[in-house]
This record gives sequence, C-alpha cells and structure tokens, in this order.
Amino acid sequence: MELQQEQESAGEHQEGGEEQLAQDLLHAFQRILHDDPLIDEVGFLHPTQFCSLQVEDDDSNSQHPEPHHTRYLWCRDHKLAISAEILPRLYRAARDAYCNARVAPLSPTHLLRHTKALLILCPDLLTAWNSRKMVLSAEYGFTKLKDELQLCALILSYSPKNESTWSHRRWVIKQVAEQHQDMSEIIENESILVKEIAEKSKMNYRAWRHRCWLIPYMTRKQVLDELKKSTRWSELHVADNCFFHYRRSLLLELLESRLGNGEDSLSWESETYLLWKEELRWDEMLIRHYQGRESLWNHRRFLSHWWIQRLLTVEETCLSTMSQVDLFVTQEINLLSECLNDPEDEFDESRVQAELSALYILWISKQVPALKGKLEERLHPISMGRLQDVMERACRPEKRRLWMNLLGLVDQSR
Amino acid sequence: MRLLPKLPPSLGGRTRLRKAEQKAAMADEAELAADQHVRYIVTVEKKKDSFESLVMEHIRLNGAYWGLTTLDLLHKLHAVDAAEVVDWIMSCYHPESGGFGGNVGHDPHVLYTLSAVQVLCLFDRLDVLDVDKVADYVAGLQNKDGSFSGDTWGEVDTRFSYIALCTLSLLHRLHKIDVQKAVDFVVSCKNLDGGFGAMPGGESHAGQIFCCVGALAITGSLHHIDRDLLGWWLCERQCKDGGLNGRPEKLADVCYSWWVLSSLVMIDRVHWIDKEKLTKFILNCQDKESGGISDRPDNAVDIYHTYFGIAGLSLMEYPGVKPLDPAYALPLDVVNRVFMKK
Repeated sequence: MELQQEQESAGEHQEGGEEQLAQDLLHAFQRILHDDPLIDEVGFLHPTQFCSLQVEDDDSNSQHPEPHHTRYLWCRDHKLAISAEILPRLYRAARDAYCNARVAPLSPTHLLRHTKALLILCPDLLTAWNSRKMVLSAEYGFTKLKDELQLCALILSYSPKNESTWSHRRWVIKQVAEQHQDMSEIIENESILVKEIAEKSKMNYRAWRHRCWLIPYMTRKQVLDELKKSTRWSELHVADNCFFHYRRSLLLELLESRLGNGEDSLSWESETYLLWKEELRWDEMLIRHYQGRESLWNHRRFLSHWWIQRLLTVEETCLSTMSQVDLFVTQEINLLSECLNDPEDEFDESRVQAELSALYILWISKQVPALKGKLEERLHPISMGRLQDVMERACRPEKRRLWMNLLGLVDQSR
Repeated sequence: MRLLPKLPPSLGGRTRLRKAEQKAAMADEAELAADQHVRYIVTVEKKKDSFESLVMEHIRLNGAYWGLTTLDLLHKLHAVDAAEVVDWIMSCYHPESGGFGGNVGHDPHVLYTLSAVQVLCLFDRLDVLDVDKVADYVAGLQNKDGSFSGDTWGEVDTRFSYIALCTLSLLHRLHKIDVQKAVDFVVSCKNLDGGFGAMPGGESHAGQIFCCVGALAITGSLHHIDRDLLGWWLCERQCKDGGLNGRPEKLADVCYSWWVLSSLVMIDRVHWIDKEKLTKFILNCQDKESGGISDRPDNAVDIYHTYFGIAGLSLMEYPGVKPLDPAYALPLDVVNRVFMKK
C-alpha cells in the first residue's frame, strides 16, 4: 500500500518525461550489470533505506558515473541496490525492451543483455530463460555456461526458492555434462552453493532437490565424502528434513552402487554395515540431544527399516545363539521407555518426543509385521502394556484416529 | 554474505494489519465469507499496476484457473463474461506447437496448457480447441522412460506427468501416449515413507504426492499405493493449529488443505484427520472484510490461497460450496459433463 502511494507521488512529478526516465533507468541498469560482471548481491530497498546508502557514499567520496540515477540505483563492491520506488517502471521498460527484441531479432548479445536485466527483476519468466537457452545452445562455450551459472547463483542469493532459476541451472549443468566427462568440480561447487543457500533459507525443497539430482553424477567416493562432510552441518540444522532426505538418498545410492561396479562384495558388505550402524548411533545421539524433532525420528524410521530387514535375512541363513534382531528391538524399546518417562518441560518438547517415539515403534510394527509380536513382548517387562496403551498414553487426542485406524481398532463399517 | 538491508514488511512483506475488533469478531464465529471472496476475485484483475501484479503477469492463465474455479465452486461463474475469457485464453494459444503460454506472447508450457483446458471445461467450451493438436503437443513431451518434460527444454517433474495425464484424459486422448510407461515412471518416484517426490529419489512433498496420486487415479492405477502408509504420512501433516503442512517440520499453510486432502480422498483415508480443526484453520485465514484467503492467519491474501482454501472446504463438504473432483481439480458436475459427452 505504502509503496503504491510512493509510486503515485513520484509519478505525478515526472508525468512528461515518464517514458524517457524509464528508458534512461533501464540503460543505466544494464550498464551497471555490464560493467560489473561480478555482482554477487542485489537488494530492493525502500527509498529511505536507499538514501542512507547515498549518505554513506558521500562520506566516502563516491565516483558514481551517473549522478542522475544515484537516486534509484547504487552499486559498489559488487553489491547492487535498486530503489523499490522505481521497480514497476524499471520492470515495464525491461519487459518492453525484451519483447521488442523478440519480435525483431537483435544480436544474441543484445538478447542476453535484455533478458539478464529482466530476470534479475523477475526471475520467474520462463520465456526469458528460454531465450537465453536458445542463444546458449547455438554454440557450446564452457565460459558462457559458467557465466550462466553465476547469474543463476546471483538470483538464487535473493530468490532461493525460485523454480525457474533452479530449472535453468540444471539445464546448464546438463549441457556441460554432455560435453565434459569430469563433473567433479561442478559437483563440488554445487554442493557448496546449496549448503550456503540452505543456511539462509531453511527447508528449501528446491535447493535440496537440486543436490539430490546431482547424486547420479557422483562417484562412489564422492557419495561417501558428501556423507562425511555433511555430518557436522546437520548437527546445527537438526530440523531440516530436506537435509536428512539428502542423506537417505546418498545411503540408498551406496546400496545400489554395489550392483554396478563389481566391487568385492565382502568388503562392500562390511563397509555398508559399519556405515549404517554408525548412522543409527549418530541419529540416536541427536535424538537424545534435540528433543521432539520429527526429522530425526523420520530418519530413524528409514534406518531401522533397512537394518531390521538385513538382520532378519542374516538370521535366516546362519544360526546364532544371540539374536541380533532381539537385541535391536530391546534397544529401541529402551529408547521408547526413556522418551516416555522424560520429565515435562516448559516448551512441550518432551511431550512431542514421547509422541514421536511411540509413533516410531508403531511404524516398525507396521512396516515389519514379523516383529509385532516381539515388540509387544518387550513392552510387558517394563510394564508399558500393549502397543495401544503406549499410543493412548503418548499421543495427542487428534492423533487418536490415525493410530486407532492403523492398529485396526476402528469399526470399519462406520 | 548479505550486506544490503531487507525490504521492510510493509512493502514486500506479507503481514496483513487488521483492526483488533475485526479479529475479535472472527474468533467468535467463523463462517465462509463467500460474497466477499467473489468480490475479491472479480476485482483482483483490476489492480494491475502494483509490482506484485506485474510480476505475476506471466502466469495469468494459472491465475484465471484458480479464480474462475473458485467462482464456480461458489456458484458464481456467471459473474464473468464467458466469451471474453474464452477469447483471451485462445490468445495465449500457440497454433504451431499446440501448447498454451502463461499469457499472450509467452512460450508454451504444459503448466498453462492444463489451466487453459480446465478453464475451457468450466465454460463447456472445449469446442474452440483443435483437440488433436493440443493433445499431440502434450503427448510429444513424453520421454523414453515414460516421464514428461514441461516443455521442449526438457525439465522433468512428476507434476508434468500429472498435468499430461489430466489434460489428455479431459481431452479423451490418453491413447496418444504410453500410459503404462507413464504410470511406471510415477511409481518409480515413490519413497520408503509412502510418499512421492518430484523425481526418482526426490523428497516426499504433499504437492508432488497430489500429482502422483492424481496421475495414478486418472489411469486407474491406485493399486500401486500402500494406502495405510501414505495415509499415515499425509495425516502427520496436520499441525497443532489444525492446519496442514506440506512436509515434516514445516508450518501449516492453507494450500495444503487441497494437496493433502485431495490425496487422502483419493486413497480413502480422509477420515483419519481432524476435519473440524482444519475447517476452523481455513476459515481463520479469511479476510472477512475485503475477501480472499491467505496462507496463514493474519497474512496477506492472494488468489492462489483463496482457491486452495475453498477447494479444501469443498472436499470437507462445507455447505454452499460445490463438490470438487479430487483428481481433476474441477467441480464434480464439470467433470461429469466432460465424460458424459464422450
């Protein structure tokens, strides 16, 4: 609302030269983009915020080439600021310039210049991205594609969830992959980019999708490195379910890679076994540290599911006096018991923790029906009753429908 | 590192400032402000000059689908001039390719092609289409593995599988593609948690789940779904405030009332969630004075959330709202009309 009023009052003053002003602004904008290809940050500022930048400039003796436009555009140290006051006019001018360029085809350089200006203002414009793809696919050039990755990174720095930009980025990487066999450097850089974006933009589905999308391009060593490198990061971002999904994808990739590269199957077995065991231990440590985190319990569901099935397969083939499955079940029931008996806290975290732990046990009993009896057996000695008693005790009333149905306790003829 | 300051919320931000008394009135009695929503939708088109409207121009066809379907759900489709809408829709058509752009002069994409077909269904005007040409455009985007690209540039996503199947089914042209392969690809995007992602191995997300379940429903392939497992995942989306989120650890958002509920309806597990609390959550996101629904209580309204809020209410059989088909995302009577005519 406030913005609109600002625009209207600005509009009244410049009724006559409106068109010219917009053109000048666009040229100034494009010149800035051209003169500083290393811009790494764009900010859209309220006029008052914008003024304070100029005051700073005056203090430090600025050498801006176009004093007329310092009122709306500002660029120093690769930081570009645009006054929000002129956004609609600048956008319209950029859009019209691009449309004209499409109708009467200009040189590819012009088209790239116009679309760059336009996409920085509105990164969602699929058609403008397509024009760039058209120019770039005419002739393969690694440098040009790298510049394109930089433009995408710039836009993602302030629009981290923009679907079209991520999609364009994947298109660029595919072009490179088709020409270059070695993708290791690109993957390295993409991992860093996603990590940085994920720090500022929590639970960013598109950023993590991008990282998952790169997994098939990775070697087994890179997959292992990615797993190792990201452990510490995750300890600071325990609520980021996207991240844990990424870890699961890496783990699944390792499982699948066995078939492909004809490695020694014994060493593969033991390596994977250790890795999984360690992941379970690490996840449990996080669960105890950070109470009531859905993402950590989801991760445990996934890890336990595979783990139990593996143990069951092993036990089918070799006789052992001590059942590994029994040991694991006992361990998980102990975890449940601890979570159920945690003292209450003011943030409701222990209650959520209790509910998540109960749902986790329910999950195992549903996913591995062979284990349902064993689980129930283990509940008795620690006087927790039946599974349904555990659910009754741990879950909020609104979850009742869910677990009653899952346990088949609801009259289906309802 | 970010050095420049951020735009204050009063400009680009999404907070809706509301008078205290209005808020108090809302808490007392929550019911659907249908007339205000209709007025909001009809007038939203006229506020074209704000920057927010300008940067939405390129998806105007999606906006038309959201707004017009909402009007139809509220029995007010006649509030707009059908001929005018149909003319404008056809001005977004690309006769060479057979696809639709998001607005006049924009490149074609399946995202807008489905919206165009859906809006034409609302007005019972599929006759204006060169049906085979449009169907060929969509069918031509199927890849070898059964997946679909969104346009000729090749981005693959399960959303595009749903869009392709939905469009072709509405046009009675499913035979133009390899349906089995399309189904196989969707199934390959299923995760161990029962949900579906945007691609094989992609994280489960309520929006993508709707697309995959919808695609399987349209092709009669729901047997590929473990209903209890997926139903469980979807039910866990209900937050303490009654609203639904789109994936674990996120806040509730009105739009998931549609994505999650429609999926639950299709797999017959909708009775597993607390509908009463969800209805309240949606109604609390209304701007009762000026119309429109926002993502969460007190945020700024938009046409997208207005549609998804009312669509959610429709699936919960809210009085006065037409029933919606959960797979085709069109009013049930419209879908029946399309298939009766076959």
